[in-house]
Amino acid sequence: MRNSLFHLPDELILATLSQTFPCREAQIRALATLLYPGAAPCRNLVIHGTEATGKSAITAALLARLADRTEDEGFILSHAIVNSAECITARHLYETVVSKVANALSWDGAPSRCETVSQLTVELVKLLKYTPRPAGFHFVLVFDGIDRQRDAPHTLVPALARLSEIISSLTTVFIVTSPPPRFLLTSSVPHLHFPTYTKTDFVSIVSASPPPALPNTSPQETADLWTRFTAAVHDALARAASRTLPSFHHACTALWPRFTAPVHAGTHSPREFSKLLIAARVHFQNERLLDPGVLTSTATATGSGAGTALATLLPTTPRLLLLASYLASHNATKHDITLFSTHYHGRRRRRGGGPSVGGRPRSKHRKIARKLLGSHAFVLERMLAIFAAVRGEWEAGNTRDHGDNKEEGHADIGMAIATLASLRLLVRVGGGATGDLMDCGGKWRVNVGWEVIRGLGRGIGVEVEDWLIE
Amino acid sequence: MDGNEDSGIFFEEDDHRAAYIFNADQPLSTQKQTPRPAKRRKVAKADAPRPHQDSSVELAFPPLFNGAEGSDAVRLRKQLYETAWPVLEDRIQHVLREANSNTLDEVTSFLQHAAEAETGKITAGFIITGPSIASQHLLFEQLGERLRTATRARFVRLRASEAPNLKAALKKIIQDATASGTDGEEVGDVEISHGGRKYLDYDLEALHVFLQQQQQQSPRVVVAFQDSEAFEGGLLTDLIALFHSWRDRIPFDLLFGIATSVELFQARLLKSTARQLYGAQFDVVQADSVLESVIKTAVAGSQAALRIGPSLLQSWVDRHRDQVAGIQVFISSLKYVYMCHFYADPLSVLLAGDGRLDRKLMQPEHIEAVRTLDSFKAQVEAAVEARQLNHAQSLLEDDDYLVAQILEQGQKRNEYLLRLLRSLHLVAATGLSSTSFTDLYILALSSGIDIDQSSGTVPLEDAVKRLRAEEFLSLINRLLMAVQTGSSDLGLDGWEPDAEELVGSLTDLRDEVDGLRERSKSNGTVLKSKYSAQSRVLRTTVVAQKVQLSQDTAIMTDEDKAFTKAVDALLDLLSENLNCGPIDNLFLHEAWVFDSKSPYRDVFVPCPDATFGRALSRPHDYLACACCAKANGGLASTLPTTAILYHLYLEAGALINVADLWSAYYALVGEESEPGLDERSALVCFYRGLAELRMMGFVKQSRKKADHVAKLKWLF
Ligand SMILES: Nc1ncnc2c1ncn2[C@@H]1O[C@H](COP(=O)(O)OP(=O)(O)O)[C@@H](O)[C@H]1O
Ligand SMILES: [Mg+2]
Repeated sequence: MRNSLFHLPDELILATLSQTFPCREAQIRALATLLYPGAAPCRNLVIHGTEATGKSAITAALLARLADRTEDEGFILSHAIVNSAECITARHLYETVVSKVANALSWDGAPSRCETVSQLTVELVKLLKYTPRPAGFHFVLVFDGIDRQRDAPHTLVPALARLSEIISSLTTVFIVTSPPPRFLLTSSVPHLHFPTYTKTDFVSIVSASPPPALPNTSPQETADLWTRFTAAVHDALARAASRTLPSFHHACTALWPRFTAPVHAGTHSPREFSKLLIAARVHFQNERLLDPGVLTSTATATGSGAGTALATLLPTTPRLLLLASYLASHNATKHDITLFSTHYHGRRRRRGGGPSVGGRPRSKHRKIARKLLGSHAFVLERMLAIFAAVRGEWEAGNTRDHGDNKEEGHADIGMAIATLASLRLLVRVGGGATGDLMDCGGKWRVNVGWEVIRGLGRGIGVEVEDWLIE
Repeated sequence: MDGNEDSGIFFEEDDHRAAYIFNADQPLSTQKQTPRPAKRRKVAKADAPRPHQDSSVELAFPPLFNGAEGSDAVRLRKQLYETAWPVLEDRIQHVLREANSNTLDEVTSFLQHAAEAETGKITAGFIITGPSIASQHLLFEQLGERLRTATRARFVRLRASEAPNLKAALKKIIQDATASGTDGEEVGDVEISHGGRKYLDYDLEALHVFLQQQQQQSPRVVVAFQDSEAFEGGLLTDLIALFHSWRDRIPFDLLFGIATSVELFQARLLKSTARQLYGAQFDVVQADSVLESVIKTAVAGSQAALRIGPSLLQSWVDRHRDQVAGIQVFISSLKYVYMCHFYADPLSVLLAGDGRLDRKLMQPEHIEAVRTLDSFKAQVEAAVEARQLNHAQSLLEDDDYLVAQILEQGQKRNEYLLRLLRSLHLVAATGLSSTSFTDLYILALSSGIDIDQSSGTVPLEDAVKRLRAEEFLSLINRLLMAVQTGSSDLGLDGWEPDAEELVGSLTDLRDEVDGLRERSKSNGTVLKSKYSAQSRVLRTTVVAQKVQLSQDTAIMTDEDKAFTKAVDALLDLLSENLNCGPIDNLFLHEAWVFDSKSPYRDVFVPCPDATFGRALSRPHDYLACACCAKANGGLASTLPTTAILYHLYLEAGALINVADLWSAYYALVGEESEPGLDERSALVCFYRGLAELRMMGFVKQSRKKADHVAKLKWLF
C-alpha cells in the first residue's frame, strides 16, 4: 500500500476526531501529519498551549486511533503516554516510562531499576532498538506536562530530546504550557500551538453536547436554546472570569436547571429566550457559579461565615489569644502604650483612628489600612502582654470570675497557643520555626484575615476595630 | 523479695516531695554510703514479716499512715480502685462512641451515594470536629472500622506527623490500603509485583495493580486526613491533584477532619484544586453535649463510686469551656482524681460496701483519722446542739461505737445518692427548669435541691402555679413516666415500687383534674386556678370589654377552686420529693467525695513560669537554708548566684549589658562583701548563673548590640 512517499492517515479518522473535538481541526491535522509514519514523522515535537485547550485529550485520542488503524496501511504504530503529574520523582518518571513502553510492546522481561536518564536510555535502546522489529515499526512516546515534573534535574528535557536521535524509530512528544526559548537545546523542532478558544469556539464546543430534551420540547428546540444560552453565559461570566473550557462547561450545566425552571413549570416556552434570560438574571450574577467551593450547594445553606463558625468552635481562651495575636500583628509596637495601658489615661480612652485625626490636614501619602495588609510578625511575649491587658477589659462584662486562672503562662495558655498553631491560625515565622514551641524568643504571625477576626470579636462583644491604630 | 527490686514500680520517698535538693557539693563517696539498693532492701524487709501477702498489691499501693496501714486495708483500697475505675471507663467509652454514631451514619451513607454519582470530581466529606485534636482520634478510628465493614472500602488514615511530604504520604497510603486486608489473609506488607516489576513505594500504580488483583469489585479507597489543618497546604494540593488524575483508575474518596471551618480550609487550597473536590459538611456532636453525657454517666451516675465535689467539678466544666482541654482531658482528670483518692487517702476504704469493710480492718489510725474530719466535728457539734450528749461523748471516746457508726454510713450514703439522683431526674422530667443538667447537679451537690420560690436552689414553684390544666396533666404524666422508667444515662432504675405513695397521689391528682376539665368543658368555661387566673386577665384586656374583665377574676367556679387545690397538692408533693441536702451535710462525706483542687491543678495546669519566678525570687522557701531567711524575697548576697542574677535581671531594661551585670554582681559578692568571693570563683559562679538563666529562657544573646543579652521575659 505504500505507493507514495507521503500520504495522510485515513480521512475518516481525522473527520471523526474533528467532530469529537470541534474547533481543533487544524491542530488535529498538523498533529497527524507530524506523527503518522506515512506522512512526515518528526523526531521531537513540542505541543504547547494554555490549560484545557485539548492538548492531552486530542493527542491521546489521535494516537489511539492511529494505532488501531495503521496495521492495514503497512505501519505498526505503538505509543505510550506518561503523565508527569503522576510522577513523584524523576526516577519515578523513568520507571514509569520503561514500564509503559514495555507494556505497549507486550514485553515480558522483568524490567530493571532505572535511576538516571542514561539508564533510561539504555533500557529504551534495549526495548526499541536492539530487539528486532518488523519493518514500518514506529513508536511515539508522549511526555505530558513535562514542564511540571517534580524533582526534575535541569537537563531532563534536553536529555529526553536526545532519545529520538539514538533510536531512529522513536518520536518523542512534549506537551507543555509554554516552552521557553531553546527548550530542547536542539534545533529545528516543530512546535504545535494549541491556541485558547474564542467565544465562538467555546459555544460551538459546548453546544455540541446538548442536555436531554426539556418537557414538551423537541430535542432540536432544546439544542437551539442551549446554544443561545451558552452564548449568554459566556457573555455574562466566562469573558470576565471563567476562561477555561471545563469551568465554562461547569457554569453552563450549573445554570441550566435554574434557567429552564420556567420551562419545566410551563410558564414560558423554550422559544422565549429573552424572557427566560430576564427571569434568570439573578442567577447570572451569582458569584458562586464561578467559584463553587468545595461544598455542594445544598450543604452550604446554613450560610454562616467563617468568623462565627470559628467563634462557636473555639473556647474562650484561644479566642482571646487569637484576637490578641491579631492586635499584635496589626498594631505597631509604638502604639502599645496608648492602646493597652490603663496607667496614664484611666479606664476610658479614645482609641481607633489614631489620636484626633480631625484637625490635621491629611498627609499626601494615603496609607493603606493596616488591616488590609499582611500581618506582621510579633514576639510571643508581646502578644501575651496584650492578652493580659485586653483580657481584663474584654471579660469585664463577663460575670464569671476566673479565680486562679489569672496566672499568666500557665499550661493552659501554652496549650491554647499550641492548638492555634496546629490549626495554622497562628504560625511561627523565621528560622526558629522548627524549634521549641514555647521558646519566647521566636516570632509569630497571625494567619487569619480581618473578616474572620471581626466576626470572632463581635461574638464576644468586642469591636476589634476600636483596638487598631493606623 | 529480692525480685521486687527490678520490677520498676518502686517509689522512693523523694518522689512525693515538692522540691528535691540536689547537693552537688556532697562528695560522691558519701552518696555511696547510702546506696539505693540498701534503702530498698530496708523497705522490703519491713514488709517481709507479714505473712502471705500478694506482693503485687503491696508494690502498687504503699501502706499509708507512715507505713502503719494494714495490708488488708491496702489491698482493699487497691481492689476498690480496680473495680471502680474500669467500669466507669467502659461506660465513658460507650458514651463517646455513641456520640459519634450519627456522624458515622451520615458519612457512610454519603460515601455510598457518592460512589454511584459520576461528577468528574473527587468526593470529599468535611467533618467539623472542633479544636480538640484528641477527640478526632476516636472518631477516625470508628470511621475506619465502619467503612471497612459497611462499604468494604479500603480505609487509610493520615496524620500530619506521619506524612511530612508527598512521598511519605503516598507510601503510607499505599501501605495501608494494601496491607489492611479485611479478610485477614494478607498480614503485614504485601509485596506487590506485576510481571516481575517491583514498584517504587510511592507509586500509585502499585495500588492500582493491587486493587485489580483483588477479586472484589472495584473497592473504593477512602483517604482520611485526620488533622487536615496541620498538613502543609502545598502537600494537600499535590495529593488532591494526584488523586484527581488517578481517579479513572483508582476510585478515591477523601475525608477531612477539620477543626476550624470549611471556609478557612478551602482558603488554604489553590482554587483549581478546590474545584476538583465536591462534598458535604458534617458536624460532630457539640463538645458541650458530649461533656454533659459524660458527666451524667460517669460523674453523676449511680455507677460512679467516688463523687467529685461541686467546686472541683465546676472548675473542670469552666476549664472545658474556656480552654482547649477537650473531653479527653476531662476524662483523664477524672481518672487522676480516682487514682489520687484511692492511692493516697487511707479513709477511702470506707467506700467498700457489702461486708468487705469490718471492725478488723479499722485500725486505731483509721479511727483517729476519722476524728480529725470536719464532718466528724460537725456531727459532734450537732449532737451537742441536739442535747444528745451521750451520743457525742461516745463518738469522741468509744472507738467501737464510732466504728459501728462508720459502718452504718455506707447505707446512708447510698440513700442520699439515690435521693439525689431521683430528685434530679424528676426535676429534669418536669421540664420547667432551664438549667442544664451539669449546672443542676453541681448546684444540688453544693447547696441541695429545694423548689421553694424565694429561698430554694431550683425555684420551680411559680412555674408550677402558672400551669394550665393541660400542662398540668402532661407534667403529671411526665413525672409518672420518669418514676416508672428511671434513667439509663444516670444508671437509675425505675422506682415505682418504692414510691407507691407518690405514684398514688399523682394518679389521683391526674384523675381529679381530668374530671374537672371535662366538667368545666361541658359548662363552657375554661379551667383555671387562682394563680393562673391573673395572667389570663392580662391576656384578655386586649380584646375583651372592661366590665367583663373584673368579673372574670372575681368569679371562680367550683371546678376552678378544686383545680387550685390540686395545684397546691402537687406543689406539696413536689417539694417533698424534689428535695435533698447538700453533699457536705453528710457525716464522713470526705471518704467518698473528692473536692480538692490542689493535686489536680498542679498536675494538669502547671504554671512553670510562676514556679520559676517564685523559686528564683524566694529560693529560701524551697531551700530552707539558714543564711537567707532574712532576705524575704529581697536581694541578699547569700542567695544562690542564679537567684541574685534574677533579681538584677528584674531591675534591668530590655537589653542588659553583661559587663554591668557582672560589676553589679561582683559588688554584691566580691571580696569586700560578706561572702567575700575572690574574682575568679565569683566569675565562675556568674557564668554558671547566666548560663542557667539562658537555659530557662530568660535571656538570649542579643544580635543588636555586642556584649549585651536580650531580656526575653517581662511578664511575671
Ligand atoms: N475542542 C474540544 N472539544 C471538546 N472537548 C474539549 C475540547 N478541548 C478540550 N476539551 C475537553 O476539555 C478538557 C481538558 O482538556 P485537556 O486535553 O486535558 O487540556 P490540556 O491538556 O490542554 O490542559 C478535556 O475533558 C477535554 O475533553
Ligand atoms: Mg493536559
